[in-house]
Amino acid sequence: MAEAEARAGALVAEDVHKRYGDTVALDGVSLSIPEGEVFGLVGPNGAGKTTLVRALTGTTRCDGVITVLGAAPGAVDAHRVGLLPQSFHPADRLTARELIAYYAGLYDEGRPVDDVLADVGLADDADTWYENLSGGQRRRACVGTALVNDPDVLFLDEPTTGIDPAGRRSLWSLVDDLAAGGTTVLLTSHSMTEVERLADRVGLLRSGSLVAVGTPDELIAEHGGDSHLLVDGAGVESDAVAAALDAEVGERDGRLVVRDVALADVGRVVADLEAAGVDFDSFTWAEPGLEDVYLRLTGEAMTDVEGRSR
Amino acid sequence: MSRRRRIRSCFTAAFRAFVRRKTAVFFTFFFPVLIILIFGALVQTQPTGGGLFAREPAYYIPGYLAVVVVFTPLSRVGSTIARHRDGNRFEKLATTPLRRWEWLLAHTLVNVAVIGLAALLLFVLVLLVTGANVVVGPGLLALAPLVVAGVALFCGLGAIIGRVADSQDGVIAASNAVAFPVWVLSETFVPPSMLPAWFRSVTALSPLTYFSRGVRAATAGGDPTGALLVLAALATGVFVAGAVAVPKTE
Repeated sequence: MAEAEARAGALVAEDVHKRYGDTVALDGVSLSIPEGEVFGLVGPNGAGKTTLVRALTGTTRCDGVITVLGAAPGAVDAHRVGLLPQSFHPADRLTARELIAYYAGLYDEGRPVDDVLADVGLADDADTWYENLSGGQRRRACVGTALVNDPDVLFLDEPTTGIDPAGRRSLWSLVDDLAAGGTTVLLTSHSMTEVERLADRVGLLRSGSLVAVGTPDELIAEHGGDSHLLVDGAGVESDAVAAALDAEVGERDGRLVVRDVALADVGRVVADLEAAGVDFDSFTWAEPGLEDVYLRLTGEAMTDVEGRSR
Repeated sequence: MSRRRRIRSCFTAAFRAFVRRKTAVFFTFFFPVLIILIFGALVQTQPTGGGLFAREPAYYIPGYLAVVVVFTPLSRVGSTIARHRDGNRFEKLATTPLRRWEWLLAHTLVNVAVIGLAALLLFVLVLLVTGANVVVGPGLLALAPLVVAGVALFCGLGAIIGRVADSQDGVIAASNAVAFPVWVLSETFVPPSMLPAWFRSVTALSPLTYFSRGVRAATAGGDPTGALLVLAALATGVFVAGAVAVPKTE
Protein backbone atom coordinates (compact mmCIF):
# COMPACT_ATOMS: atom_id res chain seq x y z
CA MET A 1 0.00 0.00 0.00
CA ALA A 2 2.73 2.48 0.99
CA GLU A 3 4.67 1.55 -2.12
CA ALA A 4 1.64 2.15 -4.30
CA GLU A 5 1.07 5.50 -2.60
CA ALA A 6 4.67 6.48 -3.16
CA ARG A 7 4.42 5.54 -6.83
CA ALA A 8 1.18 7.41 -7.35
CA GLY A 9 2.26 10.40 -5.29
CA ALA A 10 1.32 11.19 -1.73
CA LEU A 11 -0.58 14.20 -3.08
CA VAL A 12 -2.08 14.24 -6.53
CA ALA A 13 -4.23 16.92 -8.14
CA GLU A 14 -5.52 16.63 -11.68
CA ASP A 15 -7.17 19.52 -13.47
CA VAL A 16 -8.51 21.12 -10.32
CA HIS A 17 -10.86 24.06 -10.78
CA LYS A 18 -12.44 26.31 -8.21
CA ARG A 19 -14.46 29.50 -8.63
CA TYR A 20 -15.87 31.99 -6.15
CA GLY A 21 -18.65 33.57 -8.15
CA ASP A 22 -16.96 35.20 -11.14
CA THR A 23 -13.52 34.91 -9.60
CA VAL A 24 -11.38 31.99 -10.74
CA ALA A 25 -9.40 30.75 -7.74
CA LEU A 26 -7.94 27.60 -9.33
CA ASP A 27 -7.78 27.15 -13.06
CA GLY A 28 -6.87 23.59 -14.00
CA VAL A 29 -4.13 22.93 -11.45
CA SER A 30 -2.37 19.57 -11.81
CA LEU A 31 0.52 18.40 -9.69
CA SER A 32 1.91 15.26 -8.11
CA ILE A 33 3.99 15.28 -4.97
CA PRO A 34 5.79 12.05 -4.13
CA GLU A 35 6.07 10.69 -0.63
CA GLY A 36 8.72 12.38 1.48
CA GLU A 37 9.03 15.46 -0.71
CA VAL A 38 8.90 19.02 0.59
CA PHE A 39 6.92 20.99 -1.97
CA GLY A 40 6.91 24.78 -1.76
CA LEU A 41 3.98 26.69 -3.16
CA VAL A 42 4.57 30.35 -3.92
CA GLY A 43 2.63 33.07 -5.61
CA PRO A 44 1.24 36.55 -5.07
CA ASN A 45 -1.64 37.24 -2.68
CA GLY A 46 -4.82 35.91 -4.24
CA ALA A 47 -2.98 33.54 -6.57
CA GLY A 48 -4.85 30.54 -5.12
CA LYS A 49 -2.32 29.05 -2.70
CA THR A 50 -4.69 28.77 0.25
CA THR A 51 -7.52 27.60 -2.00
CA LEU A 52 -5.26 24.83 -3.31
CA VAL A 53 -4.36 23.82 0.26
CA ARG A 54 -8.06 23.77 1.10
CA ALA A 55 -8.82 21.70 -1.99
CA LEU A 56 -6.12 19.19 -1.09
CA THR A 57 -7.33 18.94 2.51
CA GLY A 58 -10.95 18.62 1.47
CA THR A 59 -12.01 21.77 3.29
CA THR A 60 -13.38 23.37 0.16
CA ARG A 61 -15.33 21.83 -2.69
CA CYS A 62 -13.79 21.97 -6.13
CA ASP A 63 -13.89 20.28 -9.53
CA GLY A 64 -11.18 17.84 -10.58
CA VAL A 65 -9.51 14.80 -9.12
CA ILE A 66 -7.54 14.95 -5.88
CA THR A 67 -6.00 12.12 -3.94
CA VAL A 68 -4.17 12.29 -0.64
CA LEU A 69 -2.30 9.10 0.25
CA GLY A 70 -4.31 7.33 -2.42
CA ALA A 71 -7.73 8.41 -1.15
CA ALA A 72 -10.06 11.33 -1.76
CA PRO A 73 -9.39 14.16 0.71
CA GLY A 74 -12.63 13.51 2.59
CA ALA A 75 -11.92 9.79 2.86
CA VAL A 76 -8.26 9.82 3.85
CA ASP A 77 -7.38 8.59 7.32
CA ALA A 78 -7.31 11.82 9.34
CA HIS A 79 -4.67 10.34 11.65
CA ARG A 80 -2.18 10.60 8.77
CA VAL A 81 -2.75 14.26 7.89
CA GLY A 82 -1.69 17.45 9.65
CA LEU A 83 -2.77 20.98 8.78
CA LEU A 84 -1.78 24.45 9.82
CA PRO A 85 -4.37 26.71 8.18
CA GLN A 86 -3.56 30.25 7.17
CA SER A 87 -4.74 32.88 9.70
CA PHE A 88 -5.40 30.18 12.28
CA HIS A 89 -6.52 31.60 15.64
CA PRO A 90 -7.13 28.99 18.32
CA ALA A 91 -8.76 29.66 21.69
CA ASP A 92 -6.77 32.48 23.24
CA ARG A 93 -7.22 31.57 26.89
CA LEU A 94 -5.62 28.17 26.71
CA THR A 95 -1.95 27.78 27.50
CA ALA A 96 0.35 26.53 24.80
CA ARG A 97 0.48 23.20 26.63
CA GLU A 98 -3.33 22.96 26.84
CA LEU A 99 -3.66 23.88 23.19
CA ILE A 100 -1.28 21.16 22.08
CA ALA A 101 -2.94 18.69 24.49
CA TYR A 102 -6.36 19.55 23.05
CA TYR A 103 -5.37 18.75 19.49
CA ALA A 104 -3.31 15.74 20.54
CA GLY A 105 -6.40 14.43 22.33
CA LEU A 106 -8.29 14.32 19.05
CA TYR A 107 -6.06 11.49 17.78
CA ASP A 108 -5.86 7.90 18.93
CA GLU A 109 -2.16 8.18 19.54
CA GLY A 110 -1.23 11.81 19.92
CA ARG A 111 2.42 12.59 20.49
CA PRO A 112 3.59 13.49 24.01
CA VAL A 113 2.74 17.16 24.54
CA ASP A 114 6.17 18.04 25.91
CA ASP A 115 7.85 16.62 22.80
CA VAL A 116 5.73 18.79 20.53
CA LEU A 117 6.37 21.88 22.68
CA ALA A 118 10.10 21.20 22.51
CA ASP A 119 9.91 20.75 18.73
CA VAL A 120 8.39 24.19 18.25
CA GLY A 121 10.58 25.85 20.88
CA LEU A 122 7.86 26.58 23.41
CA ALA A 123 9.00 24.40 26.29
CA ASP A 124 9.82 27.46 28.42
CA ASP A 125 6.53 29.23 27.68
CA ALA A 126 4.31 26.18 27.77
CA ASP A 127 2.13 27.48 30.58
CA THR A 128 1.50 30.93 29.12
CA TRP A 129 -1.94 31.66 27.73
CA TYR A 130 -2.01 31.84 23.96
CA GLU A 131 -3.17 35.46 24.07
CA ASN A 132 -0.11 36.42 26.11
CA LEU A 133 2.39 34.79 23.76
CA SER A 134 4.25 36.95 21.23
CA GLY A 135 3.15 36.80 17.59
CA GLY A 136 5.97 34.43 16.71
CA GLN A 137 5.31 32.20 19.70
CA ARG A 138 1.64 32.02 18.77
CA ARG A 139 2.49 30.91 15.27
CA ARG A 140 4.85 28.28 16.68
CA ALA A 141 2.07 27.00 18.95
CA CYS A 142 -0.15 26.78 15.88
CA VAL A 143 2.53 24.84 14.01
CA GLY A 144 2.65 22.51 17.01
CA THR A 145 -1.05 21.72 16.60
CA ALA A 146 -0.24 20.37 13.14
CA LEU A 147 2.44 18.05 14.48
CA VAL A 148 0.56 16.38 17.32
CA ASN A 149 -0.31 13.27 15.30
CA ASP A 150 3.07 12.78 13.62
CA PRO A 151 1.39 13.09 10.20
CA ASP A 152 2.49 11.40 6.99
CA VAL A 153 1.32 14.42 5.01
CA LEU A 154 1.70 17.87 6.47
CA PHE A 155 0.16 21.06 5.08
CA LEU A 156 1.72 24.28 6.35
CA ASP A 157 0.03 27.41 5.05
CA GLU A 158 2.48 30.24 5.70
CA PRO A 159 3.97 28.64 8.80
CA THR A 160 6.61 31.26 9.58
CA THR A 161 4.53 34.41 9.23
CA GLY A 162 5.44 36.66 12.16
CA ILE A 163 8.20 34.44 13.46
CA ASP A 164 11.59 36.00 14.18
CA PRO A 165 14.68 34.81 12.25
CA ALA A 166 15.88 32.47 15.01
CA GLY A 167 12.46 30.91 15.40
CA ARG A 168 12.15 30.61 11.64
CA ARG A 169 15.44 28.77 11.38
CA SER A 170 14.43 26.41 14.15
CA LEU A 171 11.18 25.65 12.29
CA TRP A 172 13.13 25.11 9.10
CA SER A 173 15.27 22.56 10.82
CA LEU A 174 12.11 20.93 12.15
CA VAL A 175 10.74 20.64 8.60
CA ASP A 176 14.09 19.20 7.53
CA ASP A 177 13.80 16.55 10.25
CA LEU A 178 10.22 15.72 9.27
CA ALA A 179 11.18 15.36 5.62
CA ALA A 180 14.14 13.19 6.58
CA GLY A 181 11.68 11.00 8.46
CA GLY A 182 9.57 10.53 5.33
CA THR A 183 6.86 13.14 5.93
CA THR A 184 5.47 14.72 2.80
CA VAL A 185 5.24 18.48 3.33
CA LEU A 186 3.37 21.04 1.30
CA LEU A 187 4.16 24.53 2.45
CA THR A 188 3.10 27.90 1.18
CA SER A 189 5.19 30.96 1.82
CA HIS A 190 5.95 34.48 0.72
CA SER A 191 9.58 34.03 1.72
CA MET A 192 11.62 32.88 -1.25
CA THR A 193 14.57 32.30 1.06
CA GLU A 194 12.45 29.89 3.05
CA VAL A 195 11.17 28.03 0.03
CA GLU A 196 14.61 27.88 -1.59
CA ARG A 197 16.03 26.59 1.69
CA LEU A 198 13.37 23.96 2.38
CA ALA A 199 11.67 22.80 -0.77
CA ASP A 200 12.76 19.91 -2.96
CA ARG A 201 10.48 21.32 -5.62
CA VAL A 202 8.64 24.58 -5.99
CA GLY A 203 5.37 25.37 -7.70
CA LEU A 204 4.54 28.92 -8.69
CA LEU A 205 0.87 29.85 -8.80
CA ARG A 206 -0.38 32.87 -10.68
CA SER A 207 -4.06 33.71 -11.06
CA GLY A 208 -5.04 30.16 -10.13
CA SER A 209 -2.68 28.49 -12.59
CA LEU A 210 0.50 26.62 -11.82
CA VAL A 211 2.86 28.44 -14.18
CA ALA A 212 6.10 26.69 -13.22
CA VAL A 213 7.14 23.61 -11.25
CA GLY A 214 10.64 22.35 -10.62
CA THR A 215 13.53 22.24 -8.23
CA PRO A 216 14.78 25.66 -7.14
CA ASP A 217 17.90 25.19 -9.30
CA GLU A 218 15.85 24.23 -12.34
CA LEU A 219 13.55 27.20 -11.95
CA ILE A 220 16.43 29.61 -11.42
CA ALA A 221 18.29 28.25 -14.43
CA GLU A 222 15.21 28.47 -16.60
CA HIS A 223 13.60 31.68 -15.40
CA GLY A 224 16.02 33.45 -13.06
CA GLY A 225 17.92 35.46 -15.65
CA ASP A 226 21.52 36.53 -15.31
CA SER A 227 23.67 37.63 -12.43
CA HIS A 228 23.36 41.36 -11.90
CA LEU A 229 24.70 44.40 -10.16
CA LEU A 230 22.50 46.57 -7.96
CA VAL A 231 23.65 50.19 -7.83
CA ASP A 232 22.62 52.51 -4.96
CA GLY A 233 22.87 56.26 -4.92
CA ALA A 234 20.53 59.19 -4.41
CA GLY A 235 21.50 61.02 -7.56
CA VAL A 236 22.25 58.13 -9.84
CA GLU A 237 20.24 58.16 -13.05
CA SER A 238 19.58 55.08 -15.10
CA ASP A 239 20.39 56.84 -18.38
CA ALA A 240 23.84 57.81 -17.12
CA VAL A 241 24.57 54.27 -15.96
CA ALA A 242 23.26 52.78 -19.19
CA ALA A 243 25.45 55.14 -21.22
CA ALA A 244 28.53 54.48 -19.08
CA LEU A 245 28.22 50.73 -19.39
CA ASP A 246 26.49 50.46 -22.74
CA ALA A 247 24.08 48.04 -21.06
CA GLU A 248 20.43 47.60 -20.28
CA VAL A 249 19.58 49.11 -16.87
CA GLY A 250 16.44 48.40 -14.91
CA GLU A 251 15.11 49.42 -11.54
CA ARG A 252 14.03 47.46 -8.48
CA ASP A 253 13.05 48.78 -5.06
CA GLY A 254 14.65 52.17 -5.81
CA ARG A 255 17.94 50.67 -6.94
CA LEU A 256 19.32 50.40 -10.44
CA VAL A 257 19.83 46.93 -11.82
CA VAL A 258 22.56 46.19 -14.35
CA ARG A 259 21.91 42.75 -15.78
CA ASP A 260 24.29 40.09 -16.97
CA VAL A 261 27.31 41.13 -14.97
CA ALA A 262 29.67 38.26 -14.15
CA LEU A 263 31.54 38.37 -10.87
CA ALA A 264 34.84 38.72 -12.75
CA ASP A 265 33.52 41.85 -14.50
CA VAL A 266 32.51 43.76 -11.38
CA GLY A 267 35.85 45.61 -11.13
CA ARG A 268 35.66 46.77 -14.73
CA VAL A 269 32.03 47.91 -14.38
CA VAL A 270 32.82 49.95 -11.26
CA ALA A 271 35.80 51.52 -12.97
CA ASP A 272 33.62 52.44 -15.96
CA LEU A 273 31.03 54.04 -13.68
CA GLU A 274 33.67 56.08 -11.87
CA ALA A 275 35.26 57.09 -15.16
CA ALA A 276 31.87 58.33 -16.40
CA GLY A 277 31.43 60.35 -13.21
CA VAL A 278 28.42 58.37 -11.94
CA ASP A 279 28.13 59.28 -8.26
CA PHE A 280 26.96 56.02 -6.67
CA ASP A 281 27.04 55.21 -2.92
CA SER A 282 27.37 51.44 -3.01
CA PHE A 283 26.75 48.43 -5.18
CA THR A 284 25.76 44.79 -4.64
CA TRP A 285 26.45 41.93 -6.97
CA ALA A 286 23.91 39.13 -6.91
CA GLU A 287 23.29 35.83 -8.57
CA PRO A 288 19.72 35.13 -9.62
CA GLY A 289 17.61 33.41 -7.01
CA LEU A 290 14.11 32.16 -6.59
CA GLU A 291 12.96 35.71 -5.94
CA ASP A 292 14.05 36.63 -9.47
CA VAL A 293 12.06 33.69 -10.78
CA TYR A 294 9.08 34.79 -8.76
CA LEU A 295 9.28 38.40 -9.92
CA ARG A 296 9.79 37.37 -13.51
CA LEU A 297 6.91 34.89 -13.61
CA THR A 298 4.41 36.82 -11.54
CA GLY A 299 5.15 40.17 -13.13
CA GLU A 300 5.31 41.84 -9.72
CA ALA A 301 7.26 44.84 -8.46
CA MET A 302 9.80 45.31 -11.20
CA THR A 303 10.03 47.42 -14.32
CA ASP A 304 12.89 47.73 -16.74
CA VAL A 305 14.08 50.82 -18.57
CA GLU A 306 11.44 50.49 -21.22
CA GLY A 307 8.82 50.58 -18.49
CA ARG A 308 7.54 47.14 -19.33
CA SER A 309 6.23 44.98 -16.57
CA ARG A 310 8.60 42.16 -15.81
CA MET B 1 -12.52 4.72 23.60
CA SER B 2 -10.97 7.05 21.06
CA ARG B 3 -14.33 8.77 20.56
CA ARG B 4 -14.58 9.33 24.30
CA ARG B 5 -11.01 10.65 24.24
CA ARG B 6 -11.85 13.15 21.49
CA ILE B 7 -14.99 14.37 23.20
CA ARG B 8 -13.20 14.66 26.55
CA SER B 9 -10.35 16.60 24.95
CA CYS B 10 -12.76 18.98 23.21
CA PHE B 11 -14.86 19.36 26.39
CA THR B 12 -11.82 20.14 28.53
CA ALA B 13 -10.54 22.79 26.14
CA ALA B 14 -13.98 24.38 25.72
CA PHE B 15 -14.64 24.36 29.47
CA ARG B 16 -11.31 25.98 30.26
CA ALA B 17 -11.76 28.55 27.50
CA PHE B 18 -15.17 29.47 28.94
CA VAL B 19 -14.39 29.65 32.66
CA ARG B 20 -11.39 31.87 31.92
CA ARG B 21 -13.67 34.48 30.41
CA LYS B 22 -14.57 36.04 33.71
CA THR B 23 -17.06 38.52 32.27
CA ALA B 24 -18.95 35.79 30.41
CA VAL B 25 -19.03 33.61 33.51
CA PHE B 26 -20.18 36.50 35.71
CA PHE B 27 -23.06 37.50 33.47
CA THR B 28 -24.08 33.90 32.83
CA PHE B 29 -24.94 33.78 36.51
CA PHE B 30 -25.75 37.44 37.13
CA PHE B 31 -28.29 37.90 34.33
CA PRO B 32 -30.78 35.33 35.66
CA VAL B 33 -30.25 36.58 39.20
CA LEU B 34 -31.12 40.05 37.95
CA ILE B 35 -34.29 38.71 36.33
CA ILE B 36 -35.35 37.11 39.61
CA LEU B 37 -34.63 40.28 41.56
CA ILE B 38 -36.64 42.39 39.10
CA PHE B 39 -39.62 40.10 38.58
CA GLY B 40 -39.59 38.20 41.82
CA ALA B 41 -38.65 40.87 44.33
CA LEU B 42 -39.62 44.19 42.75
CA VAL B 43 -42.59 43.47 40.49
CA GLN B 44 -43.73 40.49 42.54
CA THR B 45 -46.71 38.26 42.14
CA GLN B 46 -49.87 39.68 43.64
CA PRO B 47 -52.85 37.58 42.62
CA THR B 48 -55.19 39.95 44.42
CA GLY B 49 -54.82 42.62 41.82
CA GLY B 50 -51.43 44.32 42.01
CA GLY B 51 -48.18 43.36 40.32
CA LEU B 52 -47.44 42.14 36.85
CA PHE B 53 -48.17 38.48 37.41
CA ALA B 54 -51.51 36.86 37.98
CA ARG B 55 -50.49 33.38 39.05
CA GLU B 56 -48.92 31.96 42.19
CA PRO B 57 -45.11 32.33 42.45
CA ALA B 58 -44.40 28.64 41.68
CA TYR B 59 -46.05 29.05 38.27
CA TYR B 60 -43.11 31.15 37.14
CA ILE B 61 -40.33 28.74 38.11
CA PRO B 62 -40.06 27.39 34.50
CA GLY B 63 -39.76 30.94 33.23
CA TYR B 64 -36.91 31.76 35.56
CA LEU B 65 -35.07 28.51 34.73
CA ALA B 66 -35.66 29.13 31.04
CA VAL B 67 -33.60 32.31 31.27
CA VAL B 68 -30.48 30.19 31.42
CA VAL B 69 -31.78 27.18 29.49
CA VAL B 70 -32.66 29.28 26.44
CA PHE B 71 -30.49 32.39 26.30
CA THR B 72 -27.14 30.99 27.39
CA PRO B 73 -26.76 28.02 25.01
CA LEU B 74 -28.22 29.89 22.06
CA SER B 75 -25.79 32.77 22.28
CA ARG B 76 -22.83 30.75 23.55
CA VAL B 77 -22.87 27.99 20.93
CA GLY B 78 -23.77 30.43 18.18
CA SER B 79 -20.95 32.82 19.01
CA THR B 80 -18.53 29.94 19.57
CA ILE B 81 -19.24 28.78 16.03
CA ALA B 82 -18.73 32.31 14.71
CA ARG B 83 -15.43 32.55 16.61
CA HIS B 84 -14.29 29.15 15.31
CA ARG B 85 -15.15 30.16 11.78
CA ASP B 86 -13.35 33.51 12.05
CA GLY B 87 -10.22 31.77 13.35
CA ASN B 88 -10.29 29.01 10.70
CA ARG B 89 -10.67 26.47 13.50
CA PHE B 90 -13.24 24.40 11.65
CA GLU B 91 -10.86 24.16 8.71
CA LYS B 92 -8.33 22.70 11.12
CA LEU B 93 -10.83 20.42 12.86
CA ALA B 94 -12.10 19.09 9.52
CA THR B 95 -8.73 17.42 9.01
CA THR B 96 -8.79 15.72 12.43
CA PRO B 97 -10.77 12.62 13.44
CA LEU B 98 -13.21 14.79 15.43
CA ARG B 99 -16.72 14.55 14.01
CA ARG B 100 -19.08 17.49 13.95
CA TRP B 101 -21.55 15.87 16.32
CA GLU B 102 -18.73 15.09 18.72
CA TRP B 103 -17.73 18.76 18.70
CA LEU B 104 -21.30 19.84 19.37
CA LEU B 105 -21.72 17.21 22.08
CA ALA B 106 -18.57 18.42 23.85
CA HIS B 107 -19.78 22.01 23.77
CA THR B 108 -23.25 20.92 24.85
CA LEU B 109 -21.74 19.15 27.85
CA VAL B 110 -19.91 22.35 28.81
CA ASN B 111 -23.23 24.17 28.64
CA VAL B 112 -24.94 21.45 30.64
CA ALA B 113 -22.31 21.84 33.39
CA VAL B 114 -22.46 25.64 33.47
CA ILE B 115 -26.21 25.97 33.02
CA GLY B 116 -26.91 23.11 35.41
CA LEU B 117 -25.08 25.04 38.10
CA ALA B 118 -26.79 28.30 37.17
CA ALA B 119 -30.19 26.59 37.15
CA LEU B 120 -29.57 25.17 40.62
CA LEU B 121 -28.66 28.64 41.88
CA LEU B 122 -31.74 30.09 40.23
CA PHE B 123 -34.03 27.44 41.65
CA VAL B 124 -32.82 28.09 45.20
CA LEU B 125 -33.07 31.86 44.68
CA VAL B 126 -36.60 31.61 43.31
CA LEU B 127 -37.67 29.67 46.37
CA LEU B 128 -36.00 32.16 48.71
CA VAL B 129 -36.93 35.40 46.97
CA THR B 130 -40.43 34.71 45.66
CA GLY B 131 -41.57 32.26 48.31
CA ALA B 132 -42.68 29.77 45.67
CA ASN B 133 -44.04 26.53 47.08
CA VAL B 134 -42.62 23.33 45.67
CA VAL B 135 -43.82 19.78 46.31
CA VAL B 136 -40.77 17.87 47.44
CA GLY B 137 -40.81 14.37 46.02
CA PRO B 138 -39.19 12.07 43.48
CA GLY B 139 -40.72 14.12 40.69
CA LEU B 140 -38.25 16.91 41.48
CA LEU B 141 -35.47 14.67 40.18
CA ALA B 142 -36.95 15.13 36.71
CA LEU B 143 -35.69 18.71 36.77
CA ALA B 144 -32.19 17.45 35.92
CA PRO B 145 -33.10 15.64 32.66
CA LEU B 146 -35.46 18.47 31.76
CA VAL B 147 -32.62 21.00 32.04
CA VAL B 148 -30.23 18.70 30.16
CA ALA B 149 -32.71 18.12 27.33
CA GLY B 150 -33.53 21.84 27.17
CA VAL B 151 -29.86 22.80 27.03
CA ALA B 152 -29.15 20.20 24.33
CA LEU B 153 -32.05 21.48 22.28
CA PHE B 154 -30.99 25.10 22.43
CA CYS B 155 -27.34 24.20 21.84
CA GLY B 156 -28.49 22.56 18.60
CA LEU B 157 -30.52 25.63 17.72
CA GLY B 158 -27.51 27.81 18.61
CA ALA B 159 -25.40 25.80 16.17
CA ILE B 160 -27.93 26.45 13.42
CA ILE B 161 -27.96 30.18 14.21
CA GLY B 162 -24.15 30.17 14.28
CA ARG B 163 -24.10 28.57 10.84
CA VAL B 164 -26.62 31.00 9.36
CA ALA B 165 -25.35 34.25 10.95
CA ASP B 166 -22.21 35.61 9.35
CA SER B 167 -20.64 37.22 12.41
CA GLN B 168 -20.58 37.14 16.21
CA ASP B 169 -22.69 40.31 16.30
CA GLY B 170 -25.17 38.65 13.98
CA VAL B 171 -25.33 35.60 16.23
CA ILE B 172 -26.11 37.69 19.32
CA ALA B 173 -28.82 39.66 17.51
CA ALA B 174 -30.37 36.55 15.96
CA SER B 175 -30.27 34.51 19.16
CA ASN B 176 -31.92 37.32 21.13
CA ALA B 177 -34.59 37.66 18.45
CA VAL B 178 -35.31 33.94 18.68
CA ALA B 179 -34.91 33.56 22.43
CA PHE B 180 -37.06 36.41 23.70
CA PRO B 181 -40.43 35.45 22.16
CA VAL B 182 -39.78 31.78 22.85
CA TRP B 183 -38.97 32.60 26.46
CA VAL B 184 -42.02 34.76 27.06
CA LEU B 185 -44.65 32.87 25.08
CA SER B 186 -44.04 29.22 25.95
CA GLU B 187 -46.32 28.91 28.97
CA THR B 188 -43.60 30.52 31.07
CA PHE B 189 -44.70 34.00 32.08
CA VAL B 190 -47.93 34.38 30.15
CA PRO B 191 -50.57 31.73 31.00
CA PRO B 192 -52.28 30.27 27.90
CA SER B 193 -55.62 31.60 29.12
CA MET B 194 -54.34 35.16 28.62
CA LEU B 195 -53.44 34.54 24.98
CA PRO B 196 -55.76 34.51 21.95
CA ALA B 197 -57.16 31.05 21.28
CA TRP B 198 -55.45 30.81 17.89
CA PHE B 199 -52.07 31.47 19.48
CA ARG B 200 -52.27 28.42 21.73
CA SER B 201 -51.47 26.14 18.81
CA VAL B 202 -48.40 28.26 18.14
CA THR B 203 -47.38 27.86 21.76
CA ALA B 204 -47.66 24.10 21.35
CA LEU B 205 -45.03 24.28 18.61
CA SER B 206 -42.46 25.82 20.93
CA PRO B 207 -40.15 23.21 22.48
CA LEU B 208 -39.85 25.41 25.56
CA THR B 209 -43.55 24.82 26.22
CA TYR B 210 -42.75 21.19 27.04
CA PHE B 211 -39.90 22.30 29.26
CA SER B 212 -42.34 24.58 31.11
CA ARG B 213 -44.95 21.87 31.44
CA GLY B 214 -42.36 19.38 32.63
CA VAL B 215 -40.83 21.71 35.21
CA ARG B 216 -44.28 22.76 36.43
CA ALA B 217 -45.33 19.13 36.80
CA ALA B 218 -42.06 18.22 38.53
CA THR B 219 -42.34 21.05 41.06
CA ALA B 220 -46.06 20.66 41.67
CA GLY B 221 -46.04 16.95 42.42
CA GLY B 222 -47.37 15.97 38.99
CA ASP B 223 -45.99 13.56 36.40
CA PRO B 224 -43.45 15.23 34.09
CA THR B 225 -42.78 12.09 32.02
CA GLY B 226 -44.89 13.02 29.01
CA ALA B 227 -43.44 16.52 28.70
CA LEU B 228 -39.95 15.17 29.26
CA LEU B 229 -40.33 12.59 26.48
CA VAL B 230 -41.59 15.18 24.01
CA LEU B 231 -38.78 17.55 24.98
CA ALA B 232 -36.18 14.77 24.68
CA ALA B 233 -37.44 13.80 21.23
CA LEU B 234 -37.36 17.42 20.08
CA ALA B 235 -33.92 17.89 21.62
CA THR B 236 -32.61 14.87 19.73
CA GLY B 237 -33.95 16.18 16.44
CA VAL B 238 -32.67 19.72 16.92
CA PHE B 239 -29.29 18.46 18.18
CA VAL B 240 -28.87 16.31 15.04
CA ALA B 241 -29.84 19.28 12.86
CA GLY B 242 -27.38 21.42 14.80
CA ALA B 243 -24.60 18.87 14.34
CA VAL B 244 -25.21 18.88 10.60
CA ALA B 245 -25.14 22.68 10.65
CA VAL B 246 -21.71 22.83 12.33
CA PRO B 247 -19.45 24.01 9.50
CA LYS B 248 -17.14 21.46 7.93
CA THR B 249 -15.79 23.32 4.95
CA GLU B 250 -14.93 26.97 4.42
